[in-house]
This record gives sequence, structure tokens and C-alpha cells, in this order.
Amino acid sequence: MKSFTSDPASEPSSVLYSRCTVDLRSGKIHREDVPCRNLEDVLGGFGRSFQILAERNINHAYCEENPLIVNTGLLTGSSAMTGLRTYFSGYSPLKESKKSLPAAMWSTGSGNFGAKLKWTGLDELIFENRSTTPVYAVIRETAEGPLVELKPADHLLGLSTHEKIMALHKEYGSAHFAAIGQAGEQWENVYMGAVALSTDNQLKSGEDKMRFAGRGGMGSLMGYKNLLALVAQSSDKIKPLTPEVKKVNINVVKGGGAGRLLPISRGGGGGTWAAYDVLQTFHAVPVNNFRPQGNNEPEKLFREHVEKQFVIKSEACYRCGITCHNNVHEKSEDGSVGRFLAKFDYEPLNLLGTNIGLHDAAQAASLIHTCDNYGMDSISLGVTVSYLLAYNERHPERPLLNGAVFGEYAKIKELITQAGLGNLPEIGRGSKRLSESTGETSYAYHVKGLEIAAYQPETNPGYAWAIAGGHMSMGTYGLLTREGKSDMESWVQGITRDKLQIVGFDMIGLCKFFDITKGICTQMVVDCLKSEFGLDITIENLAASVRRAFLRGLALELRQGYEKAEYTLPAEVWERPNPNIKLPNITHPEFIAELQKRVWEIFEPELDGLLPQE
Amino acid sequence: MNVTIKLVGIFKIDRFKDAVREYPSGICVREVVDELRIPTHLLGTVLINEIHAGVEDVLVDGDTVCLLPFIDGG
Repeated sequence: MKSFTSDPASEPSSVLYSRCTVDLRSGKIHREDVPCRNLEDVLGGFGRSFQILAERNINHAYCEENPLIVNTGLLTGSSAMTGLRTYFSGYSPLKESKKSLPAAMWSTGSGNFGAKLKWTGLDELIFENRSTTPVYAVIRETAEGPLVELKPADHLLGLSTHEKIMALHKEYGSAHFAAIGQAGEQWENVYMGAVALSTDNQLKSGEDKMRFAGRGGMGSLMGYKNLLALVAQSSDKIKPLTPEVKKVNINVVKGGGAGRLLPISRGGGGGTWAAYDVLQTFHAVPVNNFRPQGNNEPEKLFREHVEKQFVIKSEACYRCGITCHNNVHEKSEDGSVGRFLAKFDYEPLNLLGTNIGLHDAAQAASLIHTCDNYGMDSISLGVTVSYLLAYNERHPERPLLNGAVFGEYAKIKELITQAGLGNLPEIGRGSKRLSESTGETSYAYHVKGLEIAAYQPETNPGYAWAIAGGHMSMGTYGLLTREGKSDMESWVQGITRDKLQIVGFDMIGLCKFFDITKGICTQMVVDCLKSEFGLDITIENLAASVRRAFLRGLALELRQGYEKAEYTLPAEVWERPNPNIKLPNITHPEFIAELQKRVWEIFEPELDGLLPQE
Repeated sequence: MNVTIKLVGIFKIDRFKDAVREYPSGICVREVVDELRIPTHLLGTVLINEIHAGVEDVLVDGDTVCLLPFIDGG
């Protein structure tokens, strides 16, 4: 990124970002400095990639014209804490409208790859077309600037995400990696392929402690392109901490921004796993395909019970003081740390545990580990499997696949393994397609074709307006449970104003745990931008840019055939209201209809002019 | 007056899961939180008799107060 202004909101074209376009069919590679069109381009991430996607009319995700855009955010690779994000964008093989048109999608993860990519001198890579043979791309820092090369990848075929990364690690020192697993290679039958991102911890320990850009099947799109991995090789170029950024970083950890996510031993809440205890208070932990039963079963995966059997190591991303990872290891007879099993975050633990009827930590860990190594999105996988189990429970006389039902660990593991190998398209293509094939769509827990996260839809009608799935692109998941808001005004305000701001993190290069409740429109971010780049960007500028980017995402959805009726929740929520959930009912049809009306009244007039003219 | 206190998640560590405790009348939730030395930055939700409430809400005899940690997504 080259900046010739201190005021990029007013003069965005005075900021140039470095883009490399790689034609995978011809092998032609072109690097250029591109002037920014607006502040979204300057910030980066999906704010920029969605503008590129908007310029293309794509009717099928698996077509040569659908690009895979790999980029970073402005603060990726900076000294601001959590500045490690890489973004993968394209039209999704998984998320589609009822008209079967693919939705624009991004997915993001930490690990060290993003910073390394930035330090090579590139801000963005666009992969066009597809290669006829398996390849990987090496992005290297040279004296003449960033250099991108394509290399044969036959030796990587069939390897897991971790195995690919470790194989490349032997060959490339001072590099970090992004890789797909077998699932992404089997893109025809697996639409939920994830991209694994290497971490320092992984490369040093040899343990498969990766991070993932999982949502929306960006790993499958990478597989379709026959692009198995990316290597970013450069020296580390993190700037010395300025007093201003140091102050911000201390504030992130100690001032409340992410203090709640610190390890319990350091006075924090112990990461996202803590959501189990909180949601169980309301009997709102998803159980057996999102049907909480009002019993104590979810408590079996509470941390207090798991840590009796296993060693839980609190670990962190590179240079991050938040230390939110709960890495579960076997406990040796003498109590020491044994083999690494899996990282326990709330989402995968629930969706590959309690929500499929498994309440044993070792079994859940095994499924998370399998999912990660084959390279699938744990949310989409878990929810599609839970749909299948629910179907089989309802139809014991004509079950699907191996007839697995809730709690049958061995059969479920076999389903996940075979899905990862591309042998079960029924699962690999997600819950929307599976439920449409059975004709029983009401209990398929997806919204707009993308599986929901482990927050009961009864607690979050905001899912309907999430533009990149789940809860991380519409931060309303705690509005009812945490804040107790059940009135229409609060929900309209939340969806249309405050909670959409969560997507700002997916532009600027920071993890959401930098300050998940306040977003990026804070003095902390303003101070980082000034200190790192000499840029004067106000809180108001940031808020306006994030809002435009979000609304552009909505406009793109509508252009890809989504109708307003699709901005809703799985029908089971009101067809069979769950009496066990101890919260006010805000998902009855009247509430949803009024919410749809009120939200569109605000959003719709703002959508004009956000997309290129046809 | 007697108030039943229920603690969730990490708040139970070195404290208790639930207990009936005696407080002077007119006490508010914040005073209970302070008395229990619960770090306020970790406090996400207060329920009084299973209804969402605030830390300034005043308690009456027989109330049940549930204190929940913050949740931050996942």
C-alpha cells in the first residue's frame, strides 16, 4: 500500500494498493498498483473484494470467470494486536439463493499467513480461471518487489490440510501457508471446503494447530481452481511498537476490549467456550439439531467437567495477548500434557458435539480434528450432519446414508470421514440442498443457504440479514440472551445500525476479539491508523465505510436472486415453538413479518448506487 | 432479607453455584456483585427472577439473582 495523502476518506485515489492477478489457465501473472476508489478499498478485506465481485455476473460458482480473491486488511501485518487476518472472497459454491444463483462470500482467518503475505509487498491476489493441473502459488519478497510463481503440486494431492502445510514448511523457510484439505480437492462433492492457515505454534510444534477461513466454501473454490496451497515467504517486517499502538494493545487486553476472552488464570472468561454455561441458563444451547430439551445434557461439555479429564492449554495467535485458544490435550497418568486433540471453540464444540447428540469431549474432539484435517467448515458440516440425523430420527423406516441418529459416534465419524473424502455429496453440499432433496426443509438450519452458527435462531432473528453467514456478519446473537432485548425497536436498531458494524473487522485486518462489542469505529482504531500509516480517518468515516460495505453485500445478495421472503429463519422455529427455551418468543410469524418490513424500510433506500450499473 | 444468588460459569470458581444469602433491605445488584468480588468487566447479564435486569435494580426479600458472564461469540 502506498499512500500519498493523509486523508484517504476524501482522497482515496491517492492511496494505491498492490495487486497481483494470476491467470491459472495461461500462467500469466500481472502485478500493478491500483488506486483506491473509496475508503472501503483502502481498508481492504471484503470491503474491497465485494466491489470486484460486483463487477462480474456469475451464475455458477464453479466457472472460470469466478475469481478467488485473497487479500488482507489495512492493519494486517501491523503492530496492532490481532492484525493477522487474511480474507478469501469469491462467489460461493455453498451459499445460493432459491434461484440457484451463487452469493458473493468472504471468509477469514488468523494464523501468520496474512502478515507474511502483506510483508511480501502484496495487498491482494486475484486468481482467475483454473489450472488444468494441480498447482500451488509461491509469493515471495524480492529486491525487485513481490514475485508470484506457480509450481506443480502433484506431491500435495490427497494430503490433509496439516500435512500439506508441513510438507511445504520443509521446503520453504521463513514462510507461512494457506492450504486446502482433501475436501477442497473434492470440490465437486464438497461445497463447504475450508482454507487452513498455518500458525507459528503449528510449525514449531508439528501439532495441527491451524486457523481456518471456513465459511462459504472458499476452500472448495480454491480446489476447483486446482490451486492446492499458497506460500507467502518474506522476512518479518513488524514495525517497532509506537507508544500510541502500545497503549491501544494494552487497552485491548486490559481495558475491556477483549479482556473477557483472556484465560481464566489471567482473570478472563476463558474464550468462547464460556458461551456454553451462559446459554444453558436459558436452555438455549443447541441440542440434537437445534432442539434444546430443557435438560442438563449440555453441561457435560462444560469446561469444568472437561478439564477433569484433559489438559487445556491456553494459547494465542502470533503476538496476540488475548490468548483465547483452548487447546485440549490428553492428560498423561502423571497429569502432564499429552497428545493434542483439538481446539475447543464454542461453535465447533457444540455443532460437532451437543448438537449431534454427543456429550463426550473425546468424541467431540475427534470429530473437530477430523473436520479440520480434511479441511471443512465445522459449522456447515455440523449443521448438515445434524439435519441428516434429525431426518433419520423422523424416518426410521427409510433412513438416509448409514442410518446414523443422534449420539451414534462411530456412524457419525464415518459420515464425516466419507464427506471429507468427497464420497458423500449429500453432506458435502450442505443442508439446503440435502433438505430440498428430501422435501423436508423446515428443520434445515440454514439461512439463505448457509448453515447458522451455534446460537438458537429463536434468540437471533438477525441471522436473516447476516451477509456472510452465521453470527459474525450480524452481531445480534447476544441481543436477546445477553442484553434482554425483546422489543421491536431494539431489534430494528440493532440490525440496521449498531450490530451490522461487526463486519468492519472483516475489512481492516483485525480479529473481532480486538473489541467485538464496539467494532472498529473507535478511537483505538483511529489511533492505530494514525500511528502506523499517518492516516487521519475519523470514527465517522469508518462507520460510513463499514455501512456502505455491508449494504453493498445486501445489494449483491438481491442481485443474485435473493427475494425478501428468504430473509427469514428455518420454519421449524415457529411451526414447532420450543417450550424449553426460557426466553421471550421473538420469532413468531408476526414479529418476523414486522421486523422484515421495518428493516427493509431502512435498508432499501440506501441500496441504490452501491453496485456498478448493468 | 434473603436473596438466592445463582452464579454461572467462571463466577462459580472459588465461590459457589447457588446460595441463599442475607442482605440488608434496599440493596441493589451492584452491591451484591461488589460483595462477591465479581469483576465487572466480566459481568454480561443479570437476571432477577429469570427476567433480565440491571445492576442498579433494587432487590427485595425472596428474589433470585442470577449473574452470568459476558459472551463474545465463538
